[in-house]
Amino acid sequence: MSVPLTSLALVRGLIGYIVGFAVGMAIVLLGRLVLGVEPWFPEAVYVGGIICAMIAFLLSSGVMSDWLKWTRGVDTPMPHGSPAGRPAWARYFGIDYNHKVIGIQYGVTGLLLLIVGGTFALIFRTELAEPGMQFLTLQTYNEIFSLHGWVALASILLGIGGLANYLVPLMIGAEDMAFPRLNAFGYWITVPGIVTLLASLLVGGWDSGWTAYPPLSLRGAVGYQFMFWGVFAIGLSSILGSLNLIATILMMRPKGMSLFRMPIFCWAVLATSMIQLTATQFIGVDFLLLSFERSLGMPFFNPIMTAEGVNIGGQPILHQHLFWFYSHPAVYVFVLPGLGIISELLPVFSRKPLFGYRWVALSSLAIALVGFLVWGHHMFTSGYQPYLRVAFMISTLLVAVPTGVKFFSWLGTMWGGRLTFPTPMLFTLGAISVFLIGGLSGPVLATVTTDLYLHDTYFVVGHFHATIFGGFVFPFFAAIYYWYPKITGRMYNETLGKLHFWIMTPAFWVMSIGQMSVGVLGMRRQIADYDPALGITGGQIAITFAGFAIAFSILLFIYNIFTSAEVGVLAGANPWRSRSPEWQIPSPVPEHSFASPISVVGEPYDYGLAGSKYVAMAGAGDD
Amino acid sequence: MPSSASNKRHFVIVGVLVVVMTIVLGWILNSVLPLPEAGVAQAATVDALFRVHMWLIAFLFALVCVFMVYSFVVFRRAKREDEGDHFEGNTTLEVLWTAIPLVLVVVFSFIGVRTLADITAARPDELQIQVTGQQWSWMFAYPNGTTNAELVVPVGQPLMLEMTSKDVLHAFWVKEWRMKQDLVPGMTTHIHYTPTATGEFTLACNQVCGLSHTNMYAKVRVVTKEEYTAWANEQALAQGVQPHEQAIKLDLQTASN
Repeated sequence: MSVPLTSLALVRGLIGYIVGFAVGMAIVLLGRLVLGVEPWFPEAVYVGGIICAMIAFLLSSGVMSDWLKWTRGVDTPMPHGSPAGRPAWARYFGIDYNHKVIGIQYGVTGLLLLIVGGTFALIFRTELAEPGMQFLTLQTYNEIFSLHGWVALASILLGIGGLANYLVPLMIGAEDMAFPRLNAFGYWITVPGIVTLLASLLVGGWDSGWTAYPPLSLRGAVGYQFMFWGVFAIGLSSILGSLNLIATILMMRPKGMSLFRMPIFCWAVLATSMIQLTATQFIGVDFLLLSFERSLGMPFFNPIMTAEGVNIGGQPILHQHLFWFYSHPAVYVFVLPGLGIISELLPVFSRKPLFGYRWVALSSLAIALVGFLVWGHHMFTSGYQPYLRVAFMISTLLVAVPTGVKFFSWLGTMWGGRLTFPTPMLFTLGAISVFLIGGLSGPVLATVTTDLYLHDTYFVVGHFHATIFGGFVFPFFAAIYYWYPKITGRMYNETLGKLHFWIMTPAFWVMSIGQMSVGVLGMRRQIADYDPALGITGGQIAITFAGFAIAFSILLFIYNIFTSAEVGVLAGANPWRSRSPEWQIPSPVPEHSFASPISVVGEPYDYGLAGSKYVAMAGAGDD
Repeated sequence: MPSSASNKRHFVIVGVLVVVMTIVLGWILNSVLPLPEAGVAQAATVDALFRVHMWLIAFLFALVCVFMVYSFVVFRRAKREDEGDHFEGNTTLEVLWTAIPLVLVVVFSFIGVRTLADITAARPDELQIQVTGQQWSWMFAYPNGTTNAELVVPVGQPLMLEMTSKDVLHAFWVKEWRMKQDLVPGMTTHIHYTPTATGEFTLACNQVCGLSHTNMYAKVRVVTKEEYTAWANEQALAQGVQPHEQAIKLDLQTASN
């Protein structure tokens, strides 16, 4: 079956984006001409282009068509399944309201961005292997490490969107998400966001790192505007997606599934969504203010000193508060779903109940809550009021308590179990080991006295990469291997999966510990070159090699998931003998996931309790 | 091997392994992560706390890893249909592993506050130097108005650096001096040091500040009091001002010795 390219929402959207960009630029140019000011002011012209391009993308892709019809009073049916006469793959490039399709769209886009972000890292990692500048200029180095940050974070946000959208409705036995059209919109708005973010490279990039601290971010190339607006769009997706997930989890659970009888991953998504719904606005506002200051000259952040030394302008530190009020809680957005995956998989592969279910569930909420009170620990050297350092040190150390509960509960889950080690379990355990490295390197940074030394060194780089790999990337791989048979109906290749694990995990340990040690020896973060006198060249080479090993293992993973979809052995409905609702239905999951409503009649993780049941499928027999 | 998960022998073995691994790991951490030579009095406090943290990391890492790896070995599944021991949790344990970390948090907060007060305290008779950062250079101004691109200070003399920036954020960091501080345009920030080691050190900007951030270095020379007064007098003479108060005091001290 052939499909005309222009019938794909993605293609139509991108064409709309380009046309919209040109129209937006023309409007601003004309407006400025009419007003009699110099027409070519890139800061304003490009912003006009970006805004129109994004709106044009959404309109031309068709993701808003149903809503627009509603404004005219036209009724729209909810479509189900692939449109007639079109191949199945085309669905994934089009507007689809099925949460399983949207979940895959999110997940695959997230993986693609992970590869793009990782490639940026390999480029500057190679440059850093030896002292001296080898093949990058200072300018390109700064642009690439900056872009690495936001591309990687976008990939995580989309990866989480993928996990949550695909799994939550299946885990609670729901037909779909609460608001399917909003769900599609939430995914599709990230696409122009990502395009805008990446397009920054074409107009000179930006060079401040992902934190965009002013006044630096108020100077430099117009690439900053592309970053601000790209992030804004992705942030809007976070807000809408989390709203949808909260509504779904709270309102669409089946009979008998009280909150404390949900699969534990749903608790993690609930906690994460509460953060996303309430914190994302701060970075949105912050980046808009930066954009306005650049294009309209409004003085929010840049100080303007009078001759008497009085500041009549803005305050650079204000940005740091606004930025970290989102960006610290965002770290918990990134890791809570992954920690939920760990808690979800350990009981299955230990054949034992999750130790202290309620404590694990509530620890996610506790982390989310405390996570709102700690943003100032990123600002210990910023020059804000000294007493704030003490308050933020104490609140930050407190995060260790609920995080500890999770670790100890995992140990309790494995203790006395009957453990097996297929690839998903290996990645779960790898995640625990890596997250442990990330977590344990936290308190020394939370304590102001020692942070004043380690702040903005490679120790911090090692710390947060371990946190995010342990809290997101490793669990993400665990999840993909684990639910792969549910998604495709076939098993992945176990040998390749194990090879992926056994290359990636030791390499990551080398990378993390290497980064932390060069940091302690004096390697600053975000620099293109370093002083050979620091004696860290050996460490830098090791980190670079480890980085390439990780990249190679991820190529194996990609090969595995692509080939196994064709040649993998048929998996059956429940290859892991899980009790969770999504494993009680056929693999791959049919268009209407549950043939009839399910009800919950027991505890979710009663492995090893004879005769216990979690879900009852009306009418259907046991697997 | 004991079979039941609550058999005491498991816990004895794990306990011994945790102690051994803590000691080995603590030793490794404190040798793999050697801090650079210390150059100021305040560094002793920072370094001591860093070492305490390394031991805490060693202990917690050992605790989690030993339990985990022990489970891999002892609680490996033998037959496909095997199921684990059925226990859903233990409230006493949960309370314990919430309360003990909470106590640790309080202890570390207390230590954190005390050490912070120590390293940020002003010392009597400080030499005040104005530090100005701009893309991508440093400037140091002494109390008598002399300015210099190198920071030259006498050993043993308490310093207060008053810092600001002419353009974007920068950060002052000499790794041998441990603590760092941002330079913010539109406001003044402070930091206190008492240099204890003579020699040449490198000041590196530690807040990303644009194109040449990587290379935004300045030389820091810590010299003896005699060398310092000679240098300060020479600078004053060259820039046509009087030597500053501390330089005169140091001159008198060294003359009377």
